Amino acid sequence: MPLVRKPTGKGAGPAPDASSVLANLVSGSADERWAAARAAADVPGAVTAMAAALRNERDSRVREAMFTSLARMGTAESADLLISYLRSDNANLRAGALDSLRIMTGQMRGLLPRLLGDRDVDIRILSCELARILPGPEATALLSTLIAGEPEPNVCAAAIDVLAEVGGPAALPALAACAQRFSDNPFLCFAIQTATDRINSQQSSPRA
Amino acid sequence: MPEAQALNEEEFRRLCDFLYRRTGMVFSEAKRYYVERRVVERMSATGSGSFASYFARLRTDAQGEIEQFVNAFTVNETYFYREDHQLLCLTTDLLKERLRHKRKGDSIRIWSAPCSTGEEPYSVAMWLLENWPLVDEYDIEIIGSDIDTAVLEAARAGIFGKRALMRLTPYLIEKYFTRLGEENWQILEDLRTSVQFSAANIVELSETRPYGQFDVIFCRNVLIYFDDASRRIAAENLFENLLPGGFICLGHTESMSRISPLFEVRRFADAIVYQRPAGST
Repeated sequence: MPLVRKPTGKGAGPAPDASSVLANLVSGSADERWAAARAAADVPGAVTAMAAALRNERDSRVREAMFTSLARMGTAESADLLISYLRSDNANLRAGALDSLRIMTGQMRGLLPRLLGDRDVDIRILSCELARILPGPEATALLSTLIAGEPEPNVCAAAIDVLAEVGGPAALPALAACAQRFSDNPFLCFAIQTATDRINSQQSSPRA
Repeated sequence: MPEAQALNEEEFRRLCDFLYRRTGMVFSEAKRYYVERRVVERMSATGSGSFASYFARLRTDAQGEIEQFVNAFTVNETYFYREDHQLLCLTTDLLKERLRHKRKGDSIRIWSAPCSTGEEPYSVAMWLLENWPLVDEYDIEIIGSDIDTAVLEAARAGIFGKRALMRLTPYLIEKYFTRLGEENWQILEDLRTSVQFSAANIVELSETRPYGQFDVIFCRNVLIYFDDASRRIAAENLFENLLPGGFICLGHTESMSRISPLFEVRRFADAIVYQRPAGST
């Protein structure tokens, strides 16, 4: 039979030492940077090193591994670094940061109120999407507060899109008020109507 | 007890939006009854009194509800030659590409992870023996891994019931199995000793790295159950376990493009698979 069976080496090799991980993040070959980025989640102090490395990293594979490690760390420090990349002019960095923050529910719970009030419209829009990961009542409360006073229609649209999926009846007054404020914006009115219908359907359902 | 056809239009859309984002599964209006039936089943099984309470349970993945829900839509049992279009793709296209980097006598490494009770890696072995004329010219190494050591024991024993063999022709059953009583068949010892089984959790780098690099990985119908964080980590682990230019085959409801940008999509006549870029050393 041409099929062969070879012993598979079990047991991981030695864990990379912290200093070589930190050094390789910035100065190694692509393979070394990739390996360092993957190991960095378990290395104390790696957030600072990754902050420097991410700015200059051109290999998308290595960047991706850095973003995954920052998400795995799940610390306030790693979240802060990721949030700083939400402000980047580089779309790849913005998207990578957003994807990582999306899986950091614990950290985002505390950070979202501040992000939803950020002076930067783009940050507020991206933060609406991050609210989707929260339990329905929490997301409803945050996004209802946001749309109650939000002047930018694009931010409201992002919030309403999330409310259409996760929102509860508590969002209805804010949605109605938003519809009034933007009565001259047909798209927003349509989006609000869709979200309102979806939320109302829960209340009117005979099984509810 | 909820009744069938009980999802209103808005609830259906809300559910479909969530399912698409979370799993990549797409359901059109034409599938509404199909979806509703399964929602009603799961509402009943979880004691959810309303769609709203069931949906909240699903969104938060309380007690693994996403896995239960997805299971209601998919074929959970494994069997020989399942999704054999991918096996056809393996011998028609994937190995042909891999051979460009090999000489006669070189190794071709194939990993089935997770392999459950062994139907998949044994299917790969049988398929190659039956359908690949070059099978004698290379050292073909097939490894099956699973996180569950109980299923690995069953895989090593290689004893299967009638349902597991339902896609096999009598010729293949006769050739590769020994009948054990009325209901069971055992795969031949030659095959059992050719396929290696060992435990691995694909989310743990320390467990996947020792396996080295493969030409082809079959990782079907497991990523769909993971949360986003685990999926990303698993994708990076699998990337590392592929040789540059190596291929990964996922289940038909899964898409690597939704999980990680590391891989390139390759569309072949018989299957869509994902490839580690050849240039990524």
